[in-house]
Amino acid sequence: MVSAYRFSCPLPSGMHARPASAIEHVARSFAAEVSLTNDRTGHTANAKSVLGIVGLDIRHGDPCSVEAFGPDAAQAIESLTLFIDHTLPHVDDLAPAPQTPLTDVSLPPVLRRANATVVPGTPVVPGIGIGRVFAIGGLSVPDSIPLSGVRGVEVEVGRVEVALERLLVGYDLRLDANDRRVETDLLRAHRSVARDPEFGEAIARAIREQGLTAAGAIADAEARFSEMLAATGSALLRERALDIRDVCRALLREVYGEELPPDDVLLTGDAICVAETLTPGQFLALDRQRLRGLVLAHGGTTSHTVILARSGGIPTLVGVAGLGAAALDGQEVVVDADLGAVVTNLTSDIRRYYDMERRRLDRRRGRVQRFIERPAATADGRPIEVAANVGSADDVAQAVASGADGIGLFRTEMLFLARPDAPSEEEQFQQYRRAVVDAGGRPVIVRTLDIGGDKPLPYLALPKEDNPFLGYRAVRIYPEYEGLFRAQVRALVRASAFGRLQLMIPMVARLDEVTWVRRVVAEEQSNLAAAGVAFDRRMPVGAMVEVPSAALTIEQLSQALDFFSIGTNDLLQYFAAVDRSHPRLAALADPLEPSFIRLLQRIVSDAHANRRWVGLCGEMAGHTRYLPLLIGLGLDEISLAAPDIPLMRALVADLSAAGCAALVERATHASTSRDVAQLLNGRDHWRALPLTEPDLVEVDADCRTKEEAIKAAVDLLYAAGRTDRPREVEEAVWQREATYSTGFGHGFAIPHCKTDAVGASSMSIVKLREGVDWKAIDGQPVRTLVLLVIREAEQTTTHMKVLAALARRLMHGEFRAQVEREQDPAARSARLKPRPTVGRPFRVAI
Amino acid sequence: MRIVAVTACPTGIAHTYMAAEQLEKTAKKLGHDIKVETQGAMGIENELSPSDVDGADVAIIAADIALERPERFDRIRKVEVPVQLAIRNPEAVFARL
Repeated sequence: MVSAYRFSCPLPSGMHARPASAIEHVARSFAAEVSLTNDRTGHTANAKSVLGIVGLDIRHGDPCSVEAFGPDAAQAIESLTLFIDHTLPHVDDLAPAPQTPLTDVSLPPVLRRANATVVPGTPVVPGIGIGRVFAIGGLSVPDSIPLSGVRGVEVEVGRVEVALERLLVGYDLRLDANDRRVETDLLRAHRSVARDPEFGEAIARAIREQGLTAAGAIADAEARFSEMLAATGSALLRERALDIRDVCRALLREVYGEELPPDDVLLTGDAICVAETLTPGQFLALDRQRLRGLVLAHGGTTSHTVILARSGGIPTLVGVAGLGAAALDGQEVVVDADLGAVVTNLTSDIRRYYDMERRRLDRRRGRVQRFIERPAATADGRPIEVAANVGSADDVAQAVASGADGIGLFRTEMLFLARPDAPSEEEQFQQYRRAVVDAGGRPVIVRTLDIGGDKPLPYLALPKEDNPFLGYRAVRIYPEYEGLFRAQVRALVRASAFGRLQLMIPMVARLDEVTWVRRVVAEEQSNLAAAGVAFDRRMPVGAMVEVPSAALTIEQLSQALDFFSIGTNDLLQYFAAVDRSHPRLAALADPLEPSFIRLLQRIVSDAHANRRWVGLCGEMAGHTRYLPLLIGLGLDEISLAAPDIPLMRALVADLSAAGCAALVERATHASTSRDVAQLLNGRDHWRALPLTEPDLVEVDADCRTKEEAIKAAVDLLYAAGRTDRPREVEEAVWQREATYSTGFGHGFAIPHCKTDAVGASSMSIVKLREGVDWKAIDGQPVRTLVLLVIREAEQTTTHMKVLAALARRLMHGEFRAQVEREQDPAARSARLKPRPTVGRPFRVAI
Repeated sequence: MRIVAVTACPTGIAHTYMAAEQLEKTAKKLGHDIKVETQGAMGIENELSPSDVDGADVAIIAADIALERPERFDRIRKVEVPVQLAIRNPEAVFARL
C-alpha cells in the first residue's frame, strides 16, 4: 500500500538537522518504509535517517514529496501531513540566536593598569581557571592501520556491522544505567547517529565501492557527514558534527580495539586545554582533576562538549580566534570566563589580580559554607528544613556533608532500571538501611517506585502508551504488580528500624489509592511483627502532591496520610496542561503564574489546617529566585540537589518571613507571571541590612595601587553577599574618582558611588599594610579607605544620614586616630558606625 | 563675624558634609558665628532663611555644582571656593573673607 503527500519546504533556512530529526521522529513511529524526495534534484532519502534527509539539500521553497509503503502507510502519511502542515513551519521559531563573538573586552581597572594582553571569547561556563596551555589536536588513525586496499570486502563489511551492533547495545546499556541528565542526552544523540540507516550504509558502500578498509570507510563517513552538516551553515549542526566524530571514533575502537592508541590525555599539572573543536568523548577522556579551563575556537552554547563542561564546572570560552595555541603551548594563561577573555603574558601585577580574584571567590564560598552548620531560619526567626534529593543510597553521605537537614526525596527508580529482573527485597533493604544510617538520625523520605510507560522495565509487561505522563504509572500500577510493590514495602519497613524512614507514594490522585497502600503497609508490618522483625511502628506515610486532584483533596487525604511533598514539575505540567519538553510550550509552564501560586498556597494552608507537614521537592526548590515565594508559602521543608544547599541556607538567613508572606499574598492577586517576577525583584522580603558589619572590614590588606585598594574594598561587598556585580560597583566608584580624588588628606580616602548594583547600601573599610598614591588633596599616600555605596532609591533614608555624619566625623583628627589604631575588624566596624547627628559638630566619643 | 555658608559636591554623599564640618569647626576656632547649609543627596538641610542671609556679613559658597536657589545670595558679599579647598585648608577660605 503506497501513500504520498506533496509540499514545498516552508523553512527559510532549509531542511537542516533540527527539522530533519523532527521528521525522522514522526516517521520512526510507523512500521512502513517512509521516503522523502527533493523534487528539485530528484534525490530520495530514507525519512527515518536524519543524515539522509539533511543530505537531500532541501532549500526554502523546494518542491518535496513524502511517500510511505507498508501496512500502516496511510496512517504514516496522515501523521506526516499533519506534521508538515502545522508543526514543520514553526520548528525553527525557537532556535537560539547565533552568538555574536565578543570583539572587545572592557577590562577591570587593575588589569587596565597592568596592560594585560587578552584574547576575547564567548563565555559559556562561568568561572576563572589558571593553568598551562595544553593544545589538543584532532582525532587521527595511526599509520599502522591501512585506510585502503581491503582484501575480503564482505568480511570487512561484516566486521563493521558487528561492531556497529555492539556499539548500539553499548549505548542502550549505558543509557539504562545512567541517571545523569547531561550524559543521557549525549548518549541519546550518539545512539541516534549510530542507528541512522544512512550511517551504516555509507560505510558499507565505501568498503564495497572504493575498496576502503573499515578505518578508511569510517574516516570517509566522518568527513562526508561533518562536511554535509557544516555546509548547512547552521551553528547547531556544526555542533552535532562533533557527535558524529565521537561515534566514528567509538566505532573505530569497536573494530580495532587495542590497535588504536588510548584516547586518554595525560595532563601533568593544572591545564587549560585549547582546541579548534573538542568532541564530548575527547572531553570525557581528559583528567578533570587537573583541567582548569577550556578554550575552543568553535563549539556553541549547546554542544554536548559545552554541556559536559558546564556540569563539571570547568570555566569555558568558545569562539576564541587567534589565540595561537601552538606558540603558547606550555605557557601559563588564565581563562577568565567571568570577563570573557583568555589572559596571556601573566606579569606579576596580573597574577596579583587573579590572587585577589581567588580570594574574593573563596571568601564568598567560605561565608556560604558557614551556614551549613546552622539551622536554616529567616532573619526574623522562621525555621525551614533544607533537605536533599538523591537518586541512590550512595549520595546520602555527601548530602549530609553539604548541610542537608534530611533527604526530602529518595528516588528508588535507579534500583529498578537497567537490569533484567527486579531487585530482591534483601537488596533493597540493604540500600534503604544504608541511606537511613548514613543520614545519621535525619529523616529520609523514600518515594516508592515511580515507573510507567515512559521508563519501560523488561520484567514489567507495561504496554507502550501514546501519552505515558497521563497514563499507567506509579501508584496506579501497584495493584497489578502487587508482589513487586509488597517487596519494596517490606524492605522499607525493615529499614525503618535503623533510622527515621518515611514512605512517600507518587502520583496520588484519589483517596482510594492511599487507602490501598496503607492497607498493604499495615499488612506487611503485621507479617513482619509476627516474624519477630523489628521496625518503626510509627513510620510516617505520605504522598507526593503532583496531580491537581490531589492538590484539592488535601483535607480528605490527611485522614490517611502523615505528610505531603509537592512535586512542582508534574503538578505544573498537569495544572497548566503543558508538556514541558515541548519546545513551543515550555515557556507556558511558568511556576510564577499567579494561578499556580494560588494552588500552592491552597495546598500548604490545607495541609497546615489539618496539622500535616508539607515540603516541596520539585525543581522549583532548586532555584534561588523562587526562594522568597517558597518561604512565604510557609512550607516546612524544601528539598533540592545537594550542591546547592549551602547557598540556599545562606539565602534563607537573608530573607524576612513576614516580607515573604506579604510577597506571596500580593503574588496571588497579581494578573500575570510578569507581575509576579516584578514583585520578586523587590527588596521588601529581604532583611534590612546594617550599613556595615565585621565582614566588611579588612585590616592589613596587601594592595600596591589605588586600583587594587578599590577592588579590595568592593570585593568585601561581594564576599559578604551584598553585590553580585562587583565590576559594576567598581566602575561606578572609578567614575566618581574621575571628578576629583576622594583622598581627603591625613591618609584617608572616602571613595563612593550611587548604584543599584548593591542589594543594600553598604560601607566597607580597608586598612592598607602600606600607603598607596591616591592623588589625595594633601598629596599624602592613603592608608585607610572607607568605601560608601548607596542605592539610588535609598538616598534619603537613615543610611544616608549615617554616612553624612560619618563624613563629618572623619574631619576630626582624634576620631581618625582611633580608627587607625583599631586592628580588630568587629571593633573597627562598631567604631565607624556613627550616630546619625546632622548639621552640627559633635563630640568624638564612642 | 557672622557668616552663612553653603556646601555642595557632585554626588552629595561625602564631600558636602566634610566641607560643612570643616567650615563649622574652623569658624568656632577663629571665633566666628556660622550657619552652614548642605545641598547633598538628602536635599537641602539646615536651610538658610532670608533673615539668616540678611543678618550675615558674608556668604561662603563651597560648591562644585550649580547651587539650588542661588538668588538668596544676590544681595550679599560672596566668597566662592572649591569644595576641596574647604576640606583641605579651611583657614585659607576664612583668610579670603
